[in-house]
Order: sequence, then C-alpha cells, then structure tokens
Amino acid sequence: MATTTTKPPSNHTALGRVLIIGGCGFLGHHVVSLLLRDWQAQISVIDLRCERNRRPASDGVSYHEADITDADNLLKLFGKIQPDVVIHTASPPAQGGSAVSDALFQKVNVEGTRAVVAACRGAGVKALVFTSSASIMSDNKNDLVNANETWPVIRGKEQTEYYSETKAAAEELVLAANRAEDGAGLLTVSIRPAGIFGEGDVQNVYHLVNIYKQGRTNVQVGNNENLFDFTYVENIAHAHLLAARALLVTSQSQTTPLDYERVDGEAFIVTNGEPVYFWDYARAIWAAAGSDKGTAHVWTLGREMGMVLGLMSELVFAALQKPPTFNRQRIAYSCMTRYYDITKARRRLGYKPLVSLSDGVRKTVKWTLEAQQEAVGGKL
Amino acid sequence: MVSAKSAIYYAFHPNQLRSMIQWKVWHEPVHTRDQSKEAPTLTSCFHFLNLTSRSFAAVIQELNSDMLVPIALFYLVLRGLDTIEDDMTIDADTKEPLLRDFYKNMRTEGWTFNGNGPMEKDRELLIHFDVVVAELQKLKKGYYDIIEDITIKMGNGMADYALGAEHKDGIETIAQYEEYCHYVAGLVGEGLTRLFVEGNYANPALMDRMELTESMGQFLQKTNIVRDVHEDFLDKRRFWPKAIWSKYVDKWEDIFEPKNRTLALQCSSEMVLNALKHADECLFYMAGIREQSVFNFVAIPQSMAIATLELVFQNPKIFDSHIKITKGDACQLMIESTQNLRVVCDTFRRYARRIAKKNDPRDPHYLEISSACGKIEQFIETLFPSQDPKKVALVQDAKKDEDKMDPWEGFILIGAAILVLLLVSGLMIGVAWAFGARFDAMFDKTWTQPSVLPDPSTPTTMASVTHGEL
Repeated sequence: MATTTTKPPSNHTALGRVLIIGGCGFLGHHVVSLLLRDWQAQISVIDLRCERNRRPASDGVSYHEADITDADNLLKLFGKIQPDVVIHTASPPAQGGSAVSDALFQKVNVEGTRAVVAACRGAGVKALVFTSSASIMSDNKNDLVNANETWPVIRGKEQTEYYSETKAAAEELVLAANRAEDGAGLLTVSIRPAGIFGEGDVQNVYHLVNIYKQGRTNVQVGNNENLFDFTYVENIAHAHLLAARALLVTSQSQTTPLDYERVDGEAFIVTNGEPVYFWDYARAIWAAAGSDKGTAHVWTLGREMGMVLGLMSELVFAALQKPPTFNRQRIAYSCMTRYYDITKARRRLGYKPLVSLSDGVRKTVKWTLEAQQEAVGGKL
Repeated sequence: MVSAKSAIYYAFHPNQLRSMIQWKVWHEPVHTRDQSKEAPTLTSCFHFLNLTSRSFAAVIQELNSDMLVPIALFYLVLRGLDTIEDDMTIDADTKEPLLRDFYKNMRTEGWTFNGNGPMEKDRELLIHFDVVVAELQKLKKGYYDIIEDITIKMGNGMADYALGAEHKDGIETIAQYEEYCHYVAGLVGEGLTRLFVEGNYANPALMDRMELTESMGQFLQKTNIVRDVHEDFLDKRRFWPKAIWSKYVDKWEDIFEPKNRTLALQCSSEMVLNALKHADECLFYMAGIREQSVFNFVAIPQSMAIATLELVFQNPKIFDSHIKITKGDACQLMIESTQNLRVVCDTFRRYARRIAKKNDPRDPHYLEISSACGKIEQFIETLFPSQDPKKVALVQDAKKDEDKMDPWEGFILIGAAILVLLLVSGLMIGVAWAFGARFDAMFDKTWTQPSVLPDPSTPTTMASVTHGEL
C-alpha cells in the first residue's frame, strides 16, 4: 500500500483473469498499466498488432495478435485464455469521414463487438466492460448542457458522425447481452468517456501542441463561454476497472441489485468532472507547451464568421483535393457547450477522478513534447 | 454634496447611476421596524447597531419581526466580544477570562464594561451594554440558547487564538487559515442557521449539512481577506497563509514590492481560487431558505462577495490600495439579491464568467480557476436545468417522424385536401342546381364572353369590363 498517493481506496482488489481487447491502443494500454499498478489480475491482451505500447516481459502480460472481426479465431483464443473479465477498448480513431473509414468503423465497432459478445458467451466470461463514447448523445449541432444518461442516444440520420453511430450500435449490442437468457450469466456494462486525452494520444493534445508550434494561438472562435468536458485517460481506465469489479461482485451475489444501484446492463458517462471553457483548455495546453502569451494577442471571431471561413477552407481544400485543416464542424465544436453530469458513475461505480484536469494536461503535454522530439531525432 | 469628480464619473457611467436610483426609488423592504412599539432599551440597541455596523445594520433591520431582534442582539454580542479581543491596551491576563466568560455577562443584569482603550471605536457599546443584556433576557429561550452557545464557542476560540503561541508568527497552513475563518465567520454562520431553523425560516436539512453553512462564512471571510491585504499590512496583520505566499516570495513584505507584481498577482490568484471553491455550496445553502427577508439577508453579502472576488482577481491595485465595488454595482447587486434564488444564480454565473475572462494562461492555476468557474455554472445547471432530456428526446422523435412522413405522407395529405375541396364544391353546386340554378345558361354565355356580366345580353361589353374591375 505504499507506492503512489493517488491510489483508489479499492487498490489491489483481485479481478481474476482479465483480457483487454485493444490493450496496445491508446486507452487499452493505460488500462493495462493501471491494472498492474492498482489491482491484482492475470492480464492478457488481444490487439491487431502488439509491438507498440507493450509492457516489458517482467510484468507478465500475455499478448495475442488477432483480428476481432474474425469471430471463429476470437472464440478459439477466448477458449485458451479463459478470461473472467473482458475489457473491450478496441476501435479505430474517431477522426475519419471518408467512405473507407466508414466501412472500417462498421466492421470493427459493430461486427467486431458482435464477435466479442459471442466469444464472451461462448467462453463463459463473467463480465464484459465496453468502451463506448459520450459522443453518441450528441447530434454535433446542438449543445449538451450537464447531460446525464437519461439524455437520448442520437441515431440514424440525426447522428452526423458515423463513428458515433457505430459506437451506439455496438453499445446496444453489448447492453442487450446483459443477463440474456442464452448468455450463460454474462454481465455487461458500457463506459461513455468524453474528450479523452493523455499520454499516447496522437489526436487531441498532439493537434493543439502543433497549433502552438505553428504560432496559431491568436485566434478564438466564439465568445468562450461554452463549457466542455475533457477527460484524462487514466481516469477513464480507472472507471473501466471499477465497473469490472462491480460486475464481478454482482455476478457472485445471489440477488439482483436494486435499480438505483445496479451496474450491469447500464451505461455510465465518465469525465474528469471538471468542465472548463473550451479555449481555456487549449490555452492551458499552449502554456504547458511553453507559450508565454496571455490573451492580449487573441483575435476573437464570431461563430458565423468562423463558419464562413470554415466553408471557404473546405471549398479551397476540395479544389486542391486535400483534407481541410480547418472545417465547419471544427468551428461548430469550438463554439458548442458539451459537458456532462457524472453523478451516476460517482454513486454506482464509486468513481472519483484519480488525476485532476490540470495535472493531466501537464503530464500529457510533457509526453507529447518528448514524443515529438524523439520523432524529430529519429528523422535526423 | 455631489463632487465634480463624481458628476463626471456618473456622466460616463450612466448604468451605475441608474442602478443607484432604481434601488433608492423602487426598493421596498419586506419588513420595516415598527419603532412605535419598541421599548427604550431596544431602541438603544438599534442605535448601537447603526453605530457599530456599516453594512449589516440596514439588512438586519429589514428582517421579519420575529428574526429582527434575535439577530440584531446576536450581532451586538459578537461585536462586544470583538471589541475586547481587538483592544491591544488590555493585557492578555485580563483579556482571557473576559473572553471566556463573556457569555456570563449576557445574564448579568446591568453589566457594562469601561476598560477599553480610548481609541477603541466601539467602546460606547460596552459602556452601555446593559441595554443589550436587558433585551437578551426578553428573547425566546430557543433563540437565547443559540446565541449563548455561539458566544461561548467564539469567546473560547478568540482566547485560544489571542494566547496561542502557535499563532505568534501568523497563519502558516491552509488548515490554520480555514480554522481562523471558522472562528470569525463560520461560527456566526452556524448561529444564524440555527436561528433560521429554530424560527422555521430555513429548511431543517441545513442542520445536517453544516458544511454548507461553513462555506457561507468561509466564502465571505476569505474574500475580505484577499481584498484587505494592503490595509491589514498597514495595520501589521497578515491573514494570507504562509503555505500559499511562500511559493511566490520569501518574505511577506516582498509581496507588496512593485517589482514582484507578477508573482504577487499569481499568489492572489491562488487565494481567489481557494475562496471560489466555496461558491457552489453557498448557492446550495441559499436554496434552503424559506422566507424572503431572510433570503435577502443571506444573499446580499454573498453576491457582494462574488463581485468583490471578480474585482480583486488579477487586480494589482489590491497591493497598494483599498479597493471596493462601486456604489452603482452594489445597488445593482442588492436589487438582484432581493428577488429569488434564480436571479442570484444568474449573478453568480455572470461574475464566474467575468472571472474566467480575466484569467491569464500564464498563471500557474489557470486551468483550476477555469474549472472552479465551470463548477459554479454546472451547479447552477443542477438547480435550474436549461435542458430537459424528455424534451430533447421528443425533438429527436419529432425529427424522425418528419423523416418518415416525407414524401408519401405529404402526397396523401395534399390529395386528401383536394378531395375534400372537390367534395364540398360538388355538394354546393349540387344543392344550387337542386334549387334551380341555371348552370346551362351561364356556361353557354361564358364560353363566348371574356367575363361573367350582370346582363350578358347588353352589347356595351367593353365598357362594363373596365368598370367592373374598378
């Protein structure tokens, strides 16, 4: 009990044999690290490729390369590993937009998840924790103000992001498998993180650090009164493990839990619980990356003006046949209020963020700068 | 009365003047003291209240008749204690028993005290304290017991503090800082909450959540401590905890050095952040108040505090002068604090956003301050949600239905409308025909003439047409 100060009260609880699907990915490898640090478990990882984010052999994690969309192979592998808990984090990165990645989203997120659920049933898994996304509740136009799990999931034509559509479909599959009659006692839960960032992330913070390096910190779109949730990856990993523990406890107990305390079959929004004004987050990253500028140099653009410029950028880049660096959806996001109420996760999972937002930003920016340095060094 | 300087100021700040006039003209106290029914001792008590308190006297005197006297007396008793504690001409050995036993004086008919130094500003109150004692004896027992209990706790706290060796070097840790704020403000809050609940003017649930009451006091006291830093420095006092300022300067007096302004501002930001953390609990507390005059009484100082925090935030003036919110802003805040919780929440959100706008990315606590402001906004959303999940779902469903309707349902709708139109006209024509209308004659003529005329047989067709159109 004497390594770090940020440990959850639940530390070193035994979780049995835990399999992390996508365990070499951004979120997945943080789940592995946290398991090693705070819990007792026999850890296995399935990923498409297992070279990156791989733990040293001394940690005793067993790695298996497999494609989750190959259902037969997956079932065989599950039979070998015999997991008690499966944590399914695998998904292609959210940014896409072309038809190719749409097909990939459908294949990995929906068909892959269907295969994972089938393998869990086939191998007698007790608990399945699925990484969903809070974006399934957003139509990418309207605000989400302090939204909780009672807000509707946006599907079909109203859901303009295909990634979110497939995540929603996958969540539905996972939750429908909870206590299913033929499910051999499988319990499932879905975690919906919002605005994930952290070490190993090559989207969110990476992109913002580049904006700073290119000296483009002087524009703000909108009035910056819109609150946004960003979540440090370790906190999300923590929520997954708390959910896994809750499912194991439920599966061992004789009685079904009461409605207001149940975890199985439920979805949980997970954030840092610290919504901040959208541009404040960007500026905190720039400051951590070394910016010595305040806000005096910032030029504020109205949302409408931003949309016009976004459209122009889209048209110009379409003419050049390149993906636009800057588009209307990005402008819309930067002006949108999108934050959540995580009372349900706090009450039922006992979730409390392990790392504050500002500490998370500092750690992530440090990592990003080092990673970029290494990349430059590698090229030289 | 109005100086040229202020005339110019208001000429350029008409909103300030407007708020002041609005408050003076339109503010109607929920309750006013009925002086005709007061005993002479009570009138004296109010005289001393007006003498000793600048800000509280007015709000206290607008309290409902049941809360008015207990709270006024509670204030005077604490002011009496404070006058003894503050007086540096009284030596420690005399002071300690005076503070610890002060509650006994509350029961001693005719008790007065003239041992204060000549410069002590509220010495008059203690010289005539017998009027307070006389009125205290008339209080309902429930109210009296609460006042006595807090007096004991505060007297002991002050005695410990005045004599305690550990405080000789001033406040060190954040825990000591909060303990100090507890003794000077948290305890007053405790007494007030108990009085409100005793009189059934507040939700008794507040008694189970005393941390909310504590936050009310901490928020006010911490705000004053940040604002008064320079004034206290001149008086050779310091309340900013060493645990905070030592991160920025080595010696306390260095914080006032103009060359250290940036560091001093960063230090003050951390102090503001520390105070801001209580704001959401203050709103929560106010949601538990059940009566308008009590609500005004608790809300006015809180709104003033959030506005003061905004004023002192990122403001270098606090290190060389004493700054205050303007009279116009104060009037505006009083107008807003005497309505309801929703309006007070709007005030808090407005100032939270202003604080966020002044926030400087180079400040070490930049993101924490942003999230403290976000926390206030999020809490207000839990009290008064701006989105309703049921409505969001309904809007989504409606959109889906629209999608399904298109295009077939549209055609069917138009078809149905045309059908009804034909049916109705058919009926009307049929009825007209049954009653003997000569359609055959009409059609015969219309085919040969451009319009239907009153008398189709008239040869002057063209002229009729032109007139007909007029």
